[in-house]
Amino acid sequence: MKKMKLIFTATVFFVLLLPFTLQAQTDSLLESLESELPPKEVFEASTFKATRLINLHTVETLGEGILDFRVSHRFGDFSSGIQNLYGLDGPATIRIGFDYAVSDRLMIGGGRTSYAKMYDVFLKYKLLRQTVGNAMPITVTWLSSANITTVNDPLKALGVDNLTARLAYFHELMIARKMGEKLSLQIAPIFVHYNVVKQTDRNNLFAVAFSGRYKISRSMAITGEYALRAINYKTDLSGYTNSAGVGFSLETGGHVFQVFVSNSFAINQVQVVPHTTSSWKKGQIRLGFNISRVFALKRKTTWE
Amino acid sequence: MLASTSLMAQQKFRCITGKVSFFSETPLEDIEAHSDKGAAILVAGANKIVVSIPLKSFQFPNSLMQDHFNEKYVESDKYPKATFVGKIKEPIDFSVKGAYTVTAVGKLSIHGIEKVRNISGVITVVKGKVHLSSKFTIRPEDHKIEIPSLVFEKIAEEITVNIEMDMNPY
Repeated sequence: MKKMKLIFTATVFFVLLLPFTLQAQTDSLLESLESELPPKEVFEASTFKATRLINLHTVETLGEGILDFRVSHRFGDFSSGIQNLYGLDGPATIRIGFDYAVSDRLMIGGGRTSYAKMYDVFLKYKLLRQTVGNAMPITVTWLSSANITTVNDPLKALGVDNLTARLAYFHELMIARKMGEKLSLQIAPIFVHYNVVKQTDRNNLFAVAFSGRYKISRSMAITGEYALRAINYKTDLSGYTNSAGVGFSLETGGHVFQVFVSNSFAINQVQVVPHTTSSWKKGQIRLGFNISRVFALKRKTTWE
Repeated sequence: MLASTSLMAQQKFRCITGKVSFFSETPLEDIEAHSDKGAAILVAGANKIVVSIPLKSFQFPNSLMQDHFNEKYVESDKYPKATFVGKIKEPIDFSVKGAYTVTAVGKLSIHGIEKVRNISGVITVVKGKVHLSSKFTIRPEDHKIEIPSLVFEKIAEEITVNIEMDMNPY
């Protein structure tokens, strides 16, 4: 019940923060021209700098014809101490993947993460785009992913091991608003489904993820995210915790480099949101980074 | 006839879907961008003209360029529009069909930096409507548009801008 309240409060907080704008001009004729304009079709640029923030996706999709090669890496626990160089010696997880934008709104992608030897494919679609002047105040993006673990006999203990038993699904509706030049906030209800789980777990999980970034220069930003799992998931029995991360992101031309600390060892959202086991309270956090390199495969030649 | 001329003197023409494009040519890379959301008002009697172009409306060959243009070059969150407020020097009889080569003197504001410019163009009067066309250059340096050291796109020292606007009385 307490958690429900927290989700509710956080949601209200985000919604209340949504509307505000500013303007400044001098010439009265210019002012009247601009006030009469229907600015509804000019879309806001770059709510977030990349399609992922830390572990979780953002509302961003790539522009049409752009290919993104992504490498993500998570080191071991800080709490493993100096002998293990605070986790830099590992064990580490890595995900390598590619994303491609079919259109300015539709992006597809896939990859493989070493954690549970999992392959993933996803589809991401921008449903609504925030406009300059607030005719549309938010950007809304849908994400669905299908994931398959290829660990040998992962579910032997459960007495099932077939293709369907290895599948898991992730669905997310991301709602974000660029609040101004520097601040962007996102809230995202999440639904996770595992076809087969341990007895102490549930097949279905609801969660809400909060993400934010604050730009400190043209190329740098401070980022943060928190995935709050909803009630009824057997937290205590399973020993799972909420995933949280804080980080820094740097963009240089076609590269986006994100470095952060997070308590999640996994990289794929379908593992991060429900199955994070290490806790911030116990110092079980780790260094991680995402590197994104984009290539423009297609050049636009026709103009609307 | 006199009455209609004096009426024309008060006349305002407006365009909100003007085509604006710019070109940057360097040996390494040619970059072009297009917008169809250029807006302008022309006050016939006073020969006054104001133009406003939302910078986020420019479409680039790929969205990476568009991103860099907005975030790194023109900083469109801080300075969302390029504007021009000026006066056309030559008298134009808006009741007479024809093409007038004109020069507008006024303030061009981009990236928060105003420059007094003489911009030439052609105003064509047809059946109570006006077509405005202009081609001029902008030096990014004049408007304190810095080129970040770590970007791919190399832009020219002079950018050519084309404007085509169909203006209707309003």
